[in-house]
Formats: sequence, structure tokens, C-alpha cells
Amino acid sequence: MAGFFIIYVLIIAGLAARLFHLQILRGDYFREISAQNHIRIVMNPAPRGLIRDRNGEVLVDNVPSFRISIVPSEFSTVDLPLVAGLSGLAPDSLSSLIEIASSRPYRPFPIRTGLSVEEVSAIAENLYRLGGVVIDVVPQRRYICGPEFCHVIGYVGLATSEESYEGQVSGRSGLELSLDQRLSGEPGYRREVVDALGKVVEEYEGGGEVSPRPGEDITLTIDLGLQRLATEVLALEGVPGAAVVIDYSSGEILCLASSPVFDMGRIASGVAGAEWDSICSDPQRPLLSRAWAARYPPGSVFKPVTALYLLQSGSIDGSYRPDPCFGSYHLGGRDFGCWTVHGRLDVVGALAQSCDVFFYRTIQLGSLDGLAAFARGFGLGSRLMGGILPGECRGLVPSSALLDSLYGDGGWGLGNLLNVSIGQGELLVTPLQMACIAGVIASGGAMPSPMLVKDSDISEPPWADLDLPVEAVALVTEGMREAVAGDHGTLRSLGELPWEFFGKSGTAESSAGDHAWVIGFVREPRPLAIAVVVEHGGHGGAVAAPIVSRILQGYLGGGG
Amino acid sequence: MTSDRPDPVILSALGLIVVIGLMAVFSASQAVEGDPVFLKQLAWAAVGVFFLVLGTRLSLRWIEEFAYPFYGLALLLLLVTDFAGSGPAGRWLALGPIRFQASEVAKVAILAAASRAFADLSSRPRRFGVFFVYAGIIPAIVLTWLQPDLGTAGATILMLLFMTWWAGYGPGWIFLLVSPVFAALSSISLIYWLAFTAMIVLLLLRRKAPAMLWVVVLTVNTLVAAFTPVVWGLLRPYQQARLTTFLDPAADPHGAGWNVIQSEVAIGSGGLWGQGFLHGSQKGLAFLPARHTDFVFSVWAEEMGFAGSLLLLAAFGVLILRLVWIASRCENSFTSLIASGCAAYFAMHLAVNVGMTLGIMPVTGIPLVLVSYGGSHMVTAMFVVGLGLNAGMNWRVI
Repeated sequence: MAGFFIIYVLIIAGLAARLFHLQILRGDYFREISAQNHIRIVMNPAPRGLIRDRNGEVLVDNVPSFRISIVPSEFSTVDLPLVAGLSGLAPDSLSSLIEIASSRPYRPFPIRTGLSVEEVSAIAENLYRLGGVVIDVVPQRRYICGPEFCHVIGYVGLATSEESYEGQVSGRSGLELSLDQRLSGEPGYRREVVDALGKVVEEYEGGGEVSPRPGEDITLTIDLGLQRLATEVLALEGVPGAAVVIDYSSGEILCLASSPVFDMGRIASGVAGAEWDSICSDPQRPLLSRAWAARYPPGSVFKPVTALYLLQSGSIDGSYRPDPCFGSYHLGGRDFGCWTVHGRLDVVGALAQSCDVFFYRTIQLGSLDGLAAFARGFGLGSRLMGGILPGECRGLVPSSALLDSLYGDGGWGLGNLLNVSIGQGELLVTPLQMACIAGVIASGGAMPSPMLVKDSDISEPPWADLDLPVEAVALVTEGMREAVAGDHGTLRSLGELPWEFFGKSGTAESSAGDHAWVIGFVREPRPLAIAVVVEHGGHGGAVAAPIVSRILQGYLGGGG
Repeated sequence: MTSDRPDPVILSALGLIVVIGLMAVFSASQAVEGDPVFLKQLAWAAVGVFFLVLGTRLSLRWIEEFAYPFYGLALLLLLVTDFAGSGPAGRWLALGPIRFQASEVAKVAILAAASRAFADLSSRPRRFGVFFVYAGIIPAIVLTWLQPDLGTAGATILMLLFMTWWAGYGPGWIFLLVSPVFAALSSISLIYWLAFTAMIVLLLLRRKAPAMLWVVVLTVNTLVAAFTPVVWGLLRPYQQARLTTFLDPAADPHGAGWNVIQSEVAIGSGGLWGQGFLHGSQKGLAFLPARHTDFVFSVWAEEMGFAGSLLLLAAFGVLILRLVWIASRCENSFTSLIASGCAAYFAMHLAVNVGMTLGIMPVTGIPLVLVSYGGSHMVTAMFVVGLGLNAGMNWRVI
């Protein structure tokens, strides 16, 4: 029992000793702080994590820059004209900034950032007579890479959430947004004792400063050179488009290019209103990430999926040859046209020559819901990237339930199925999804989930349960080979490539002009799958194929 | 001294503490507009008196009898709160118009159940009995921690350790019981781990521990030490940061860390005699969201100074030491454990809460019982005092 008495007395004595320390020994110090001075906390933002490409090339880093902040509770409006002049702000805009800052009057509120030594020196020289003005050095985001990464990486801006501190920067779009937690790190802070006039008296004696913890670095699977090349090649067209390249043996996305682009470095450093407006009102919509956030009808590049569906379900086999193509197909008083007269074809020939009538006839052996379920198995109609790409589109795979809701029960018919079989109708896809389909066919269904950030967690891809028959894949692959190498193939222009290319062209009908598509893959020298779309570009074989050629030759060597 | 009446020394100390608490809450509530904090606290104090009387009137034999069902009920309440709690941190359980914190009920239940278990062990010793007691109690503590109420969980563990000591298990046993925590910490470096393991081995040697104990203690600690870095390494940096913030909220400069600095300045500025009742001027304190709850001691210390703070500490000291004295006079081991547990309950809340406001304890949301604003802990604390008084009134009868 004596032990208990001693312990409890010691606990209370310990508390009393600390009280004695605070109230008697240092009472005067604290009384002074309490009476005239107070403590302010200045946040030290953490440098955001670096972003590198697959070869370790730094795409985004941080540079130190000066920042001027104002603590409203300590700032005297008498100084307003002087501070406005020295910091290069109009007095009106400074006073409106202070207005905003006054909602949290005890915290430093940044009024200018990204300043050089010269720009900040005028304020620094006058700091002795300006209360409530803070100058510090903070890391500022620098986009070393060009605008070819504007969609994938995105940009940062001032954080807007309730919990954010003044001047906190957070991701606004792209990976900067989706990986913000990993990239942002933890801010540090220091404490300063400030007198009644808002001038720093001393560092706070009671506690040290906490250094910021830098954000996590991130390495992309994207290849800088390929991304840049693809963006440049797309830009030559002068119309919007997208190009996606995936290593189908690993699922790593090597290129995720959209065109046109914008300068995210200028947005991050705060563009003037007029420039922002011009980006937003550009009819080509540069802010749209076409590679994954836009949806297009696929047109004929969907035919390999239809063919695989028919082969897997046993509706047709490699030797099946339906009635010939006479250039169009009559159904219910309507003409479903083909782009030329093909005659009698097997599935390989139908793919190589992109015959619509072959699919109009054969798809009637299957069903709309069967085709829709099969297409969903390739990841169509769902997001592939697990939220890492902001705004990723699902696309649309029409089922009978969907058509019922669109046209009323039974308000649609066999014609809708015919349209979907050739990638038209209600079907919508993203370029990223189509590149994955090319990769899935190339790998016989073995391609891992597409991956954009190295060392990310790998989930089962949607096509893990697809279980494609080897013969079916071989036939479709042969059709895609014939499209390039065959005498009547729609992609004969790609026959000039030094490696064997397996491809499918598409000319997706759209009211404002057809979209030009090519999807395909090479096995040598590297296992790459590619999808290219040119918005309202016209004929796939004529417009998208040269882009594929230049991207592959530029990346893999062999001229171009 | 034998008496059927409640111990007057404890009653005086209790009265002083409650009056100081009401004064402090009144002062702190001056800044809370619209919410009649003081009147509510006054009402809670009145309810508390009812529970104080209840605590002295209940039969301790009855409590001993029903300690385990009571504990089971508390576990159930904690579980319900974890899944369906409401309020700012989800710690509240609504029962019609009455809202209360299940973790407060659990504290009393743990006090009763642990007393019962240790009392049973003293009459019928079992090998490793103390481990079974902990295995039974730890679920309630973990559920409390998950509320999330780290402060209460910590204070409850400390209370339990003191009761273990009181039950006759020496510091060696207590060290063995908490050794997994040290094992996890020691995994930081090989030297720490070697030193820690050497200490464990020495302790086991000195106690001439049976082979079974050697195996259990060394296996558990080695596993904990080995897997802590592995688990830690699996976490991403931001997850690690979240965990450290959870364990040490003071790391958040705008949150708890800021509160502690303002609290230190407020207390320090009180000086010897204080700024005067209702005259606390620390502007920073006006920013403390918890000035009438968790940081109420800062308000009192600023306004009443070192003298006033010592008075409050002394009142708690008298309450605690008198409870220990009562515990030492009890002939029945259950009532003795109850009284000593009451003492530990107040000592631990005092140390954790006041230590926090003085900047020498981690910031955990734990009130200063009997003083801070809030109904649940006021009622619980009064009931606990009642149990302690009850133990003191019954030693002669049993």
C-alpha cells in the first residue's frame, strides 16, 4: 500500500512541478505573450512528389520560389497602398484578397506566389515597418515535360476544401488529382511569437519547428519519347484525336496521347482570366482527355469482337461462308449498306476487307444480349483504370434492356443488332478500351490489367474470365494480318512497316463527319498494341493508318 | 474508524472538486453563445449526486455477483456504438432522448469485472490467471479505442495495471503484461531489441518462471517485434502518416498541437494568483474549441493561478489517497479492489488530462472527470466515487 501512496503522490507532484515551471518560473514570459504577443503558425508546404517516365526521366519537379502572405489580424489597412505597390498588385485586388483572408484572420494568407528574388526584395527591404506581412520560400510545381502530358499528369491549383490551409496546393486534374494523397506529402510548420503590431519578435521557445514530409515520387509506365512523338503526329492532323499504346505482355501503358493540348504549367501558375477563357471556349476543347474521357462509336474496329463472339459461340467457324455481299443488305424495307461489293467471304476475308454484309448476315445467328455480354467481357462499358484517370468514360454497350428504355418495349428491332455488329448504333467506346481490345486479341486474352503507374496494385482484368478459344483468336488474328498483308486488305498502306502489323481499320459514322480509327498490334520487335482515333477525320485506312505508321516507326526505329 | 456513513473526507474533497468544476465551466462558457452550457452542467451535477447516492446504496455483493453480465452488456453497447454511434466522433449512443457514451459505462463494467476476476483469483489461484483476466478485458479496451477514444482506452489500461498491482502481482508481472507494446517499440533498432529481450530473460530467470511461461512470453514478443516492421513497411507513406497522426494528434499543427500551445500560454500566464475569476485574457484560448471540455483545466489555471491549480490538485490528491486508504482497510478482496480501482480511475484521468493541458502528455480527447463539461463522465465519476464510499462503509459489516 505504501507503494501506491508513493506513486500517486509522485504523479500529483509531477503535475504540480510542471505547473510550477509554467506558472512561476516562466510565468512572466507567458504572461507577456498572453498580454501583448501571440503565436502564429506559418505553414511550410511539402514539396510534391516527383513524377518520372518509365525511363526515369523527370517530368515534373519543384523549384523554390518566394511567396508573400498577409496575416489579416496583424495587418493594418494603412499599409495597404504601400504593400500593393511593392508586391505589384492593384490596391483593389489586394483589398479583395484581404477580404477573403479575413475569414481566418490569424493565419497567413498568400497574396503572391512564384516570385523571384528580385520581385520579392522590395517587400523584404520594408518588412521592418510592415506588420502582418510574411515572406517565405516554398516549393513550386514545375512542369519540365511539355504539354504532351497535360491530360495524363494534369495540373495543380489552390486547394479549396474546408480543411486545407491557406495557400495549400492540390491536384486539379489528371494524376495530380487522382494521386493527390500520395503526391502531396505532409506540410511542416514553424511557430513565431508576434507582437501586437504583427512583427516577429522571436522564434517560439516552447517548441521547435516541424519540417515538411515530401510527397511520394511516382514513376509512370509512359515513355516520354513516345508520348511526345504521338502528340506531335496527332497535332499535324489539325483535328482532335487520340493515340494509345500498350505493352500487352505487361499491361503497361506506354503512350496515352490526346490532341489538342494545352500548357498546364501556365494554368498551374495561375493564368490570366482571358487566357483561361480562351482555353475553355476553344471549339476543339483542349481540356478534354480524348484518350480516356471521350467516347466514340468504334465502327469497324469493333468487328474483331463480333467475329470472336460468333466463333466462340459456335455460330460460325473458319470455313463458314454466308451468302455473298452484293454491296448492301435489305431488312424490313431498309437498305443496310456495305462500302463496296465483296462477294462471298469467310470470316478472315470479312475482317481483312471489312465487309459489313458478312456481319449483318452472321450476327443473326447470335443475339444482342449475347454480343453485349461478350463485349463487356473485354472491358467495354466499364472503367479500366480504377479511378486513377479522372473522368474516365465507361462507354456504352447496348443491351435489350437499354434499347427498351430508349425506344420503349419492342420499339427496336433486328436493325439495331445489325448496326451494333459493325460497331455503330448505340455502341460507344474510348480509345483506351480499344487499345486494350487489340492487346487482349494479341495476347490471346492473357494481357494483364492496363497499368499507368509503376508498382501499382494489380487487379484482375475484366477479360480474365473471357476464356477465348485458341482457334477463334487465330482466325481473327489472321483476318487482321490479311487486312495489312492481303491483296484486298483495308490497311495495305501499313504493309510497308518493317515488322508484321496486325490491324483493323474503322470509319465510324457520325453526323458531324466520320471518325477515323485504326487498332492493331505488332509482335516484333516488341509486343505493342495500339489504337488511334481521329475525330471527324474521315476514312480510317487513309487518315489513321499513316499516324499509326509514323508512331510505330518513330518509336521502334526503322525510319519514318 | 468504522462507520456506516459515507467518509466525510472524501465527500469534502468531492464537493470542492465539483464546485471548482462548475466555476471553471461557468467561466469557460462565457464565450459559448446560445448554448446554456453552465445550466446543463448544473443539471448534470444534480443527476450525478443521484448516482453518487446510488453508488453508496447498491449492495457490493450484488455488484460482485452480476459483474460479468454487466461487463457483457457493456461490450454489447460498445459494439453497437462502434457500428451505429452518432455525434462528432461517433462515440455517442442514443437511447431515446438520452445520449450517452458507452465507453463510460464500459469503464465501470471493467472496474467491476476486473475486481471480481482478481478477487476470485486470490481465493482460488490459477496458473496464468492474470493473463486470462487481461484476455477477457482487452476486447472492451480495443472497442473503446476504436470509438475512437484513445484517451479513455489508455486511462482504462493504466487503471487495470494498477488494479493488477493491487491484486498482488508485482511490477515484474505488470512488465510482462505490457511487454508486447515494448516489443513493438523495440523493433526500431537491433540494440533496443537486444536490450529489451535481455530484460525479459533476466526477469523470467529471476522469477524462476515455468517453461510454459518462457515459451509464451518469448514467442509472443518475438513475433510482435518481428512483424511490426514488416507491417509498417507494407504501408504507404501517407498511410504511415495517417497512423502517426492518429496515435499522436499533436502532430497536426492546426489541430491538437495548436491547442496545447495555447493551453500552455494560458496556464503560464496565470502566474501565482491567476488573472482573476472570469478575467482570463488569453486571446488564444478563445480559439480553443474544447475549452469547456478537455481543456477546462487551462481555464481554471489561467484565472486562479498556481494557488488555485494546487487547490484542485490537492483535492484530487485527498480523494485518491483516501480511496487507497479505504482499500487497504477492506477485509473483503472484492471491495478492496473496487476501492483501489476507484483511486486508480481518478489518478489516471487526472494524469492524462492535466498532463495533456500542461504539454507533458499526448493529446487525446479525454475529459477531466468531475470538472469538464459533459454528462456521461460526470454521472460515471460520481457513481465511481459512490462505489468507493460504499466500500468504505461496508468493511465492518462483511
